[in-house]
Amino acid sequence: MKTPELSACHEMEALLPAYAERSLPAAEAEHVAAHLATCPSCQLQVTQLRALTDDLDAALPEVPRTALRANFMAMLEQQKSLLQPQAPAVAPPAPPEAKVVSMWPAALANNWMRIAASIVLIAAGVFLGRQLPWGNRANDGLAATTADASSRNSLNEALNAGRNRVSASDRIKLVSNSAKETEPGDPTVQVLLNTLNFDPSPNVRLAACEALYRLRDDQRVREGLVNSLAIQTDPNVQITLIDMVVSMRVRRAVPQLERLSKRADALPVVRAQAEAGIGKLI
Amino acid sequence: MAAVKGDDLDQLVPLFERYHGPLFNYLTRLTNDRETSEDLTQTVFERILKYRSSYQPTQPFKAWVYQMARNVHADYWQRKEKLRASDVEEVERTGGLRGAAFSQMRVSSHHDDLHEALALLPTPQREILVLNRFQGFGYEEIGKLLGCTAEAARVKAHRALQALRKIYFAN
Repeated sequence: MKTPELSACHEMEALLPAYAERSLPAAEAEHVAAHLATCPSCQLQVTQLRALTDDLDAALPEVPRTALRANFMAMLEQQKSLLQPQAPAVAPPAPPEAKVVSMWPAALANNWMRIAASIVLIAAGVFLGRQLPWGNRANDGLAATTADASSRNSLNEALNAGRNRVSASDRIKLVSNSAKETEPGDPTVQVLLNTLNFDPSPNVRLAACEALYRLRDDQRVREGLVNSLAIQTDPNVQITLIDMVVSMRVRRAVPQLERLSKRADALPVVRAQAEAGIGKLI
Repeated sequence: MAAVKGDDLDQLVPLFERYHGPLFNYLTRLTNDRETSEDLTQTVFERILKYRSSYQPTQPFKAWVYQMARNVHADYWQRKEKLRASDVEEVERTGGLRGAAFSQMRVSSHHDDLHEALALLPTPQREILVLNRFQGFGYEEIGKLLGCTAEAARVKAHRALQALRKIYFAN
Protein backbone atom coordinates (compact mmCIF):
# COMPACT_ATOMS: atom_id res chain seq x y z
CA MET A 1 0.00 0.00 0.00
CA LYS A 2 1.58 3.21 -1.09
CA THR A 3 -0.94 5.85 -0.10
CA PRO A 4 -0.60 5.80 3.70
CA GLU A 5 3.17 5.82 3.30
CA LEU A 6 3.05 8.89 1.09
CA SER A 7 0.68 10.81 3.33
CA ALA A 8 2.94 9.95 6.29
CA CYS A 9 5.85 11.47 4.38
CA HIS A 10 3.73 14.50 3.58
CA GLU A 11 2.97 14.91 7.26
CA MET A 12 6.66 14.55 8.05
CA GLU A 13 7.66 17.36 5.72
CA ALA A 14 6.37 19.98 8.14
CA LEU A 15 8.11 18.35 11.09
CA LEU A 16 11.46 17.57 9.53
CA PRO A 17 12.98 21.08 9.73
CA ALA A 18 12.33 21.14 13.47
CA TYR A 19 13.58 17.57 13.76
CA ALA A 20 16.74 18.45 11.84
CA GLU A 21 17.48 21.33 14.19
CA ARG A 22 16.55 19.12 17.16
CA SER A 23 13.84 21.43 18.45
CA LEU A 24 10.96 18.94 18.34
CA PRO A 25 9.33 17.88 21.61
CA ALA A 26 10.53 14.40 22.62
CA ALA A 27 7.28 12.59 21.79
CA GLU A 28 7.11 13.98 18.28
CA ALA A 29 10.81 13.42 17.76
CA GLU A 30 10.34 9.75 18.56
CA HIS A 31 7.44 9.54 16.14
CA VAL A 32 9.61 11.07 13.40
CA ALA A 33 12.56 8.83 14.24
CA ALA A 34 10.33 5.77 13.93
CA HIS A 35 9.21 6.87 10.49
CA LEU A 36 12.74 7.76 9.40
CA ALA A 37 13.96 4.24 10.17
CA THR A 38 11.75 2.92 7.40
CA CYS A 39 11.81 5.80 4.90
CA PRO A 40 14.97 6.55 2.92
CA SER A 41 13.46 9.60 1.17
CA CYS A 42 12.70 11.31 4.49
CA GLN A 43 16.17 10.37 5.69
CA LEU A 44 17.59 12.11 2.67
CA GLN A 45 15.49 15.16 3.50
CA VAL A 46 16.96 15.35 6.99
CA THR A 47 20.50 15.02 5.63
CA GLN A 48 19.79 17.78 3.11
CA LEU A 49 18.21 20.03 5.70
CA ARG A 50 21.21 19.67 7.98
CA ALA A 51 23.64 20.33 5.11
CA LEU A 52 21.60 23.36 4.11
CA THR A 53 21.56 24.70 7.67
CA ASP A 54 25.32 24.27 7.90
CA ASP A 55 25.78 26.10 4.60
CA LEU A 56 23.51 28.90 5.77
CA ASP A 57 25.47 29.21 8.99
CA ALA A 58 28.73 29.24 7.07
CA ALA A 59 27.57 31.87 4.56
CA LEU A 60 29.68 34.99 4.73
CA PRO A 61 27.89 38.26 5.26
CA GLU A 62 27.88 40.84 2.49
CA VAL A 63 30.14 43.70 3.51
CA PRO A 64 29.26 47.23 2.42
CA ARG A 65 31.86 49.50 0.86
CA THR A 66 33.44 52.14 3.04
CA ALA A 67 31.61 54.73 0.97
CA LEU A 68 28.50 53.84 2.94
CA ARG A 69 30.14 55.01 6.15
CA ALA A 70 31.45 58.15 4.47
CA ASN A 71 27.98 58.97 3.15
CA PHE A 72 26.47 58.39 6.54
CA MET A 73 29.00 60.68 8.23
CA ALA A 74 28.38 63.39 5.65
CA MET A 75 24.64 63.08 6.17
CA LEU A 76 25.08 63.24 9.94
CA GLU A 77 27.24 66.36 9.70
CA GLN A 78 24.67 67.98 7.49
CA GLN A 79 21.87 67.16 9.91
CA LYS A 80 23.94 68.49 12.78
CA SER A 81 24.61 71.75 11.02
CA LEU A 82 20.88 72.07 10.34
CA LEU A 83 20.29 71.59 14.02
CA GLN A 84 22.66 74.39 15.07
CA PRO A 85 20.53 77.49 14.55
CA GLN A 86 17.50 75.88 16.22
CA ALA A 87 19.25 74.80 19.41
CA PRO A 88 22.24 77.04 20.09
CA ALA A 89 21.91 76.62 23.85
CA VAL A 90 22.24 72.84 23.72
CA ALA A 91 25.22 72.90 21.37
CA PRO A 92 28.45 71.77 23.04
CA PRO A 93 31.11 74.43 22.33
CA ALA A 94 34.14 73.21 20.37
CA PRO A 95 33.64 70.20 18.10
CA PRO A 96 30.43 71.12 16.27
CA GLU A 97 31.78 74.55 15.44
CA ALA A 98 34.89 73.09 13.92
CA LYS A 99 32.70 70.75 11.92
CA VAL A 100 30.47 73.56 10.72
CA VAL A 101 33.51 75.40 9.44
CA SER A 102 34.62 72.30 7.62
CA MET A 103 31.38 72.41 5.64
CA TRP A 104 32.25 75.79 4.10
CA PRO A 105 34.93 74.84 1.61
CA ALA A 106 32.59 72.22 0.16
CA ALA A 107 29.81 74.79 -0.25
CA LEU A 108 32.27 77.27 -1.74
CA ALA A 109 33.63 74.67 -4.13
CA ASN A 110 30.05 73.90 -5.09
CA ASN A 111 29.40 77.53 -5.95
CA TRP A 112 32.55 77.68 -8.00
CA MET A 113 31.51 74.49 -9.75
CA ARG A 114 28.18 76.10 -10.58
CA ILE A 115 29.83 79.22 -11.96
CA ALA A 116 32.30 77.15 -13.94
CA ALA A 117 29.50 74.95 -15.26
CA SER A 118 27.46 77.97 -16.38
CA ILE A 119 30.50 79.42 -18.17
CA VAL A 120 31.03 76.11 -19.94
CA LEU A 121 27.33 76.01 -20.89
CA ILE A 122 27.40 79.52 -22.31
CA ALA A 123 30.59 78.81 -24.21
CA ALA A 124 29.10 75.60 -25.59
CA GLY A 125 25.98 77.52 -26.62
CA VAL A 126 28.00 80.15 -28.46
CA PHE A 127 30.06 77.47 -30.15
CA LEU A 128 27.00 75.49 -31.24
CA GLY A 129 25.28 78.65 -32.42
CA ARG A 130 28.22 79.43 -34.67
CA GLN A 131 28.20 75.89 -35.98
CA LEU A 132 24.57 75.81 -37.08
CA PRO A 133 24.47 75.78 -40.90
CA TRP A 134 21.78 78.47 -41.12
CA GLY A 135 23.74 80.72 -38.81
CA ASN A 136 25.66 83.38 -40.77
CA ARG A 137 25.73 81.56 -44.02
CA ALA A 138 26.16 84.68 -46.14
CA ASN A 139 28.97 86.22 -44.14
CA ASP A 140 31.25 83.56 -42.80
CA GLY A 141 30.08 80.40 -44.44
CA LEU A 142 33.66 79.48 -45.08
CA ALA A 143 34.66 80.07 -41.48
CA ALA A 144 31.77 77.96 -40.27
CA THR A 145 32.68 74.99 -42.44
CA THR A 146 36.27 75.16 -41.32
CA ALA A 147 35.22 75.22 -37.70
CA ASP A 148 32.86 72.34 -38.44
CA ALA A 149 35.53 70.26 -40.12
CA SER A 150 38.07 70.96 -37.43
CA SER A 151 35.60 69.99 -34.72
CA ARG A 152 34.99 66.69 -36.45
CA ASN A 153 38.69 66.12 -36.79
CA SER A 154 39.18 66.82 -33.13
CA LEU A 155 36.37 64.41 -32.29
CA ASN A 156 38.10 61.75 -34.34
CA GLU A 157 41.49 62.48 -32.82
CA ALA A 158 40.21 62.58 -29.28
CA LEU A 159 38.33 59.33 -29.70
CA ASN A 160 41.00 57.38 -31.49
CA ALA A 161 44.48 58.64 -30.82
CA GLY A 162 43.68 59.72 -27.30
CA ARG A 163 41.73 56.67 -26.19
CA ASN A 164 44.28 55.95 -23.52
CA ARG A 165 44.45 59.47 -22.24
CA VAL A 166 40.81 60.57 -22.44
CA SER A 167 38.63 59.01 -19.75
CA ALA A 168 35.55 56.99 -20.68
CA SER A 169 33.20 59.65 -19.35
CA ASP A 170 34.90 62.31 -21.48
CA ARG A 171 34.62 60.06 -24.50
CA ILE A 172 30.91 59.66 -23.78
CA LYS A 173 30.58 63.44 -23.70
CA LEU A 174 32.44 63.76 -27.00
CA VAL A 175 30.26 61.15 -28.62
CA SER A 176 27.00 62.55 -27.24
CA ASN A 177 27.89 66.08 -28.31
CA SER A 178 28.78 65.06 -31.85
CA ALA A 179 26.83 66.65 -34.67
CA LYS A 180 23.06 66.29 -34.55
CA GLU A 181 22.70 66.57 -38.31
CA THR A 182 24.76 65.31 -41.14
CA GLU A 183 25.23 65.82 -44.86
CA PRO A 184 26.24 62.99 -47.23
CA GLY A 185 29.83 61.91 -46.73
CA ASP A 186 30.05 63.37 -43.27
CA PRO A 187 32.98 61.73 -41.43
CA THR A 188 31.09 61.87 -38.10
CA VAL A 189 29.16 58.72 -38.97
CA GLN A 190 32.34 56.78 -39.65
CA VAL A 191 33.97 58.01 -36.46
CA LEU A 192 30.93 56.99 -34.43
CA LEU A 193 30.82 53.57 -36.09
CA ASN A 194 34.49 53.04 -35.28
CA THR A 195 33.79 54.02 -31.70
CA LEU A 196 30.85 51.62 -31.58
CA ASN A 197 33.00 48.77 -32.83
CA PHE A 198 36.31 49.38 -31.15
CA ASP A 199 35.95 51.46 -28.01
CA PRO A 200 36.90 49.34 -24.97
CA SER A 201 34.17 50.79 -22.73
CA PRO A 202 30.60 49.45 -23.22
CA ASN A 203 29.23 52.76 -21.92
CA VAL A 204 31.01 54.71 -24.63
CA ARG A 205 29.73 52.19 -27.17
CA LEU A 206 26.18 52.72 -25.88
CA ALA A 207 26.59 56.48 -26.22
CA ALA A 208 27.80 55.91 -29.77
CA CYS A 209 24.62 53.86 -30.42
CA GLU A 210 22.48 56.74 -29.26
CA ALA A 211 24.43 59.28 -31.33
CA LEU A 212 24.14 57.04 -34.39
CA TYR A 213 20.41 56.67 -33.85
CA ARG A 214 20.12 60.43 -34.28
CA LEU A 215 21.94 60.12 -37.59
CA ARG A 216 19.83 57.15 -38.72
CA ASP A 217 18.90 58.76 -42.05
CA ASP A 218 22.44 58.13 -43.26
CA GLN A 219 22.61 54.82 -45.16
CA ARG A 220 25.97 53.94 -43.60
CA VAL A 221 24.38 53.90 -40.14
CA ARG A 222 22.04 51.01 -41.04
CA GLU A 223 24.84 49.01 -42.61
CA GLY A 224 27.25 49.75 -39.75
CA LEU A 225 24.74 48.68 -37.10
CA VAL A 226 24.12 45.36 -38.84
CA ASN A 227 27.84 44.68 -39.06
CA SER A 228 28.37 45.69 -35.47
CA LEU A 229 25.79 43.14 -34.28
CA ALA A 230 28.28 40.40 -35.15
CA ILE A 231 31.12 41.93 -33.13
CA GLN A 232 29.50 43.11 -29.92
CA THR A 233 29.75 40.87 -26.86
CA ASP A 234 28.43 43.17 -24.13
CA PRO A 235 24.77 42.27 -23.47
CA ASN A 236 23.70 45.89 -23.04
CA VAL A 237 25.16 46.93 -26.34
CA GLN A 238 23.73 43.83 -27.99
CA ILE A 239 20.23 44.58 -26.75
CA THR A 240 20.47 48.24 -27.68
CA LEU A 241 21.62 47.33 -31.19
CA ILE A 242 18.79 44.81 -31.58
CA ASP A 243 16.27 47.44 -30.51
CA MET A 244 17.75 49.94 -32.92
CA VAL A 245 17.71 47.72 -36.00
CA VAL A 246 14.16 46.68 -35.15
CA SER A 247 12.89 50.21 -34.68
CA MET A 248 14.68 51.35 -37.86
CA ARG A 249 13.23 48.29 -39.61
CA VAL A 250 16.56 47.16 -41.04
CA ARG A 251 15.52 43.93 -42.82
CA ARG A 252 19.11 43.11 -43.66
CA ALA A 253 19.78 42.57 -39.96
CA VAL A 254 17.70 39.37 -39.92
CA PRO A 255 20.57 36.94 -40.72
CA GLN A 256 22.73 38.55 -38.05
CA LEU A 257 19.90 38.38 -35.54
CA GLU A 258 19.40 34.70 -36.38
CA ARG A 259 23.06 34.05 -35.73
CA LEU A 260 22.93 36.01 -32.50
CA SER A 261 19.87 34.12 -31.29
CA LYS A 262 21.84 30.89 -31.63
CA ARG A 263 25.11 32.10 -30.19
CA ALA A 264 26.05 29.98 -27.20
CA ASP A 265 28.03 32.74 -25.52
CA ALA A 266 25.15 35.25 -25.63
CA LEU A 267 23.01 35.68 -22.52
CA PRO A 268 19.53 34.11 -22.68
CA VAL A 269 17.92 37.54 -22.45
CA VAL A 270 19.94 38.67 -25.50
CA ARG A 271 18.99 35.59 -27.47
CA ALA A 272 15.34 36.07 -26.58
CA GLN A 273 15.53 39.71 -27.65
CA ALA A 274 17.14 38.74 -30.95
CA GLU A 275 14.39 36.22 -31.62
CA ALA A 276 11.69 38.74 -30.78
CA GLY A 277 13.43 41.18 -33.14
CA ILE A 278 13.36 38.67 -36.00
CA GLY A 279 9.67 38.21 -35.40
CA LYS A 280 9.06 41.93 -35.78
CA LEU A 281 11.23 42.34 -38.87
CA ILE A 282 9.89 39.51 -41.04
CA MET B 1 18.78 56.10 20.73
CA ALA B 2 17.16 58.06 23.52
CA ALA B 3 20.14 60.45 23.34
CA VAL B 4 19.72 60.78 19.59
CA LYS B 5 16.08 61.59 20.15
CA GLY B 6 17.28 64.41 22.41
CA ASP B 7 19.17 65.86 19.40
CA ASP B 8 22.58 64.49 20.44
CA LEU B 9 23.17 63.24 16.92
CA ASP B 10 26.70 62.00 17.60
CA GLN B 11 25.15 59.16 19.57
CA LEU B 12 23.90 57.73 16.28
CA VAL B 13 27.46 56.83 15.28
CA PRO B 14 27.78 53.78 17.57
CA LEU B 15 24.32 52.65 16.43
CA PHE B 16 25.42 53.02 12.84
CA GLU B 17 28.57 51.01 13.53
CA ARG B 18 26.57 48.27 15.13
CA TYR B 19 23.67 48.02 12.69
CA HIS B 20 24.77 49.21 9.27
CA GLY B 21 26.50 45.90 8.41
CA PRO B 22 23.54 43.67 9.36
CA LEU B 23 21.07 46.08 7.73
CA PHE B 24 23.08 46.18 4.53
CA ASN B 25 23.20 42.40 4.58
CA TYR B 26 19.47 42.12 5.13
CA LEU B 27 18.69 44.56 2.32
CA THR B 28 21.19 42.93 -0.03
CA ARG B 29 19.53 39.57 0.46
CA LEU B 30 16.13 41.13 -0.20
CA THR B 31 17.10 43.11 -3.28
CA ASN B 32 19.97 40.98 -4.64
CA ASP B 33 21.65 44.24 -5.49
CA ARG B 34 24.55 45.66 -3.51
CA GLU B 35 24.41 49.15 -4.91
CA THR B 36 20.70 49.55 -4.25
CA SER B 37 21.20 48.17 -0.75
CA GLU B 38 23.83 50.76 0.01
CA ASP B 39 21.40 53.47 -0.99
CA LEU B 40 18.61 51.86 1.00
CA THR B 41 20.80 51.46 4.09
CA GLN B 42 21.63 55.14 3.87
CA THR B 43 17.93 55.92 3.55
CA VAL B 44 17.21 53.89 6.70
CA PHE B 45 19.61 56.04 8.71
CA GLU B 46 18.25 59.20 7.14
CA ARG B 47 14.79 58.16 8.28
CA ILE B 48 16.05 57.30 11.76
CA LEU B 49 17.22 60.89 12.04
CA LYS B 50 14.12 62.31 10.49
CA TYR B 51 11.72 60.37 12.67
CA ARG B 52 13.85 60.26 15.81
CA SER B 53 11.16 62.09 17.78
CA SER B 54 8.73 59.22 17.14
CA TYR B 55 11.02 56.67 18.76
CA GLN B 56 9.57 55.16 21.93
CA PRO B 57 12.34 54.40 24.45
CA THR B 58 10.33 51.41 25.69
CA GLN B 59 10.57 49.60 22.37
CA PRO B 60 13.80 47.81 21.42
CA PHE B 61 15.89 49.80 18.96
CA LYS B 62 16.57 46.68 16.90
CA ALA B 63 12.87 46.08 16.26
CA TRP B 64 12.31 49.73 15.42
CA VAL B 65 15.21 49.93 12.98
CA TYR B 66 14.27 46.70 11.17
CA GLN B 67 10.70 47.90 10.86
CA MET B 68 12.14 51.01 9.25
CA ALA B 69 14.31 48.92 6.92
CA ARG B 70 11.29 46.85 5.89
CA ASN B 71 9.36 50.01 5.06
CA VAL B 72 12.28 51.45 3.10
CA HIS B 73 12.48 48.23 1.12
CA ALA B 74 8.71 48.19 0.52
CA ASP B 75 8.83 51.80 -0.73
CA TYR B 76 11.68 50.95 -3.05
CA TRP B 77 9.72 48.00 -4.39
CA GLN B 78 6.64 50.12 -5.02
CA ARG B 79 8.66 52.77 -6.82
CA LYS B 80 10.18 50.09 -9.01
CA GLU B 81 6.79 48.61 -9.82
CA LYS B 82 5.40 52.04 -10.65
CA LEU B 83 8.29 52.67 -13.02
CA ARG B 84 7.66 49.38 -14.72
CA ALA B 85 3.94 50.03 -15.02
CA SER B 86 4.26 53.59 -16.32
CA ASP B 87 3.82 54.24 -20.01
CA VAL B 88 6.66 52.56 -21.85
CA GLU B 89 8.59 54.87 -24.04
CA GLU B 90 11.25 53.49 -26.31
CA VAL B 91 14.11 54.80 -24.20
CA GLU B 92 12.65 53.47 -21.01
CA ARG B 93 12.14 50.10 -22.57
CA THR B 94 15.76 49.74 -23.61
CA GLY B 95 16.73 51.01 -20.18
CA GLY B 96 14.71 48.25 -18.56
CA LEU B 97 16.23 45.64 -20.82
CA ARG B 98 19.68 46.88 -20.01
CA GLY B 99 18.81 46.44 -16.38
CA ALA B 100 17.62 42.92 -17.06
CA ALA B 101 20.83 42.12 -18.87
CA PHE B 102 22.82 43.50 -15.98
CA SER B 103 21.03 41.50 -13.33
CA GLN B 104 21.31 38.40 -15.47
CA MET B 105 25.03 39.01 -15.72
CA ARG B 106 25.25 39.46 -11.99
CA VAL B 107 23.50 36.18 -11.33
CA SER B 108 25.55 34.25 -13.86
CA SER B 109 28.82 35.64 -12.59
CA HIS B 110 27.83 34.82 -9.05
CA HIS B 111 29.01 31.32 -8.36
CA ASP B 112 27.53 31.02 -4.96
CA ASP B 113 24.89 28.30 -5.26
CA LEU B 114 23.34 29.06 -1.90
CA HIS B 115 22.76 32.70 -2.71
CA GLU B 116 21.39 31.82 -6.11
CA ALA B 117 18.96 29.43 -4.48
CA LEU B 118 18.01 32.10 -1.95
CA ALA B 119 17.44 34.58 -4.73
CA LEU B 120 14.96 32.19 -6.32
CA LEU B 121 12.77 32.07 -3.22
CA PRO B 122 9.74 34.39 -3.08
CA THR B 123 10.67 37.53 -1.14
CA PRO B 124 8.57 36.84 2.00
CA GLN B 125 10.15 33.41 2.41
CA ARG B 126 13.61 34.76 1.70
CA GLU B 127 13.09 37.55 4.21
CA ILE B 128 12.09 35.19 6.99
CA LEU B 129 15.11 32.95 6.40
CA VAL B 130 17.47 35.90 6.24
CA LEU B 131 16.10 37.29 9.50
CA ASN B 132 16.26 33.91 11.17
CA ARG B 133 19.58 32.66 9.85
CA PHE B 134 21.65 35.73 9.04
CA GLN B 135 20.32 38.41 11.36
CA GLY B 136 19.96 36.23 14.44
CA PHE B 137 16.27 36.97 14.93
CA GLY B 138 14.33 34.60 17.18
CA TYR B 139 10.82 33.51 16.17
CA GLU B 140 9.40 35.84 18.78
CA GLU B 141 11.13 38.85 17.20
CA ILE B 142 10.22 37.77 13.68
CA GLY B 143 6.60 37.42 14.76
CA LYS B 144 6.59 40.96 16.13
CA LEU B 145 8.20 42.35 13.00
CA LEU B 146 5.86 40.56 10.60
CA GLY B 147 2.79 40.96 12.76
CA CYS B 148 2.14 37.30 13.50
CA THR B 149 2.62 34.94 16.43
CA ALA B 150 5.97 33.34 17.22
CA GLU B 151 4.49 29.95 16.40
CA ALA B 152 3.29 31.16 13.00
CA ALA B 153 6.75 32.62 12.38
CA ARG B 154 8.31 29.26 13.23
CA VAL B 155 6.01 27.40 10.84
CA LYS B 156 6.70 29.95 8.09
CA ALA B 157 10.46 29.70 8.66
CA HIS B 158 10.32 25.91 8.42
CA ARG B 159 8.28 26.04 5.24
CA ALA B 160 10.75 28.50 3.79
CA LEU B 161 13.62 26.22 4.74
CA GLN B 162 11.92 23.29 3.00
CA ALA B 163 11.31 25.44 -0.08
CA LEU B 164 14.96 26.47 -0.12
CA ARG B 165 16.04 22.86 0.31
CA LYS B 166 14.04 21.86 -2.77
CA ILE B 167 15.68 24.58 -4.87
CA TYR B 168 19.13 24.01 -3.45
CA PHE B 169 19.11 20.25 -4.06
CA ALA B 170 17.08 20.40 -7.24
CA ASN B 171 19.75 18.76 -9.37
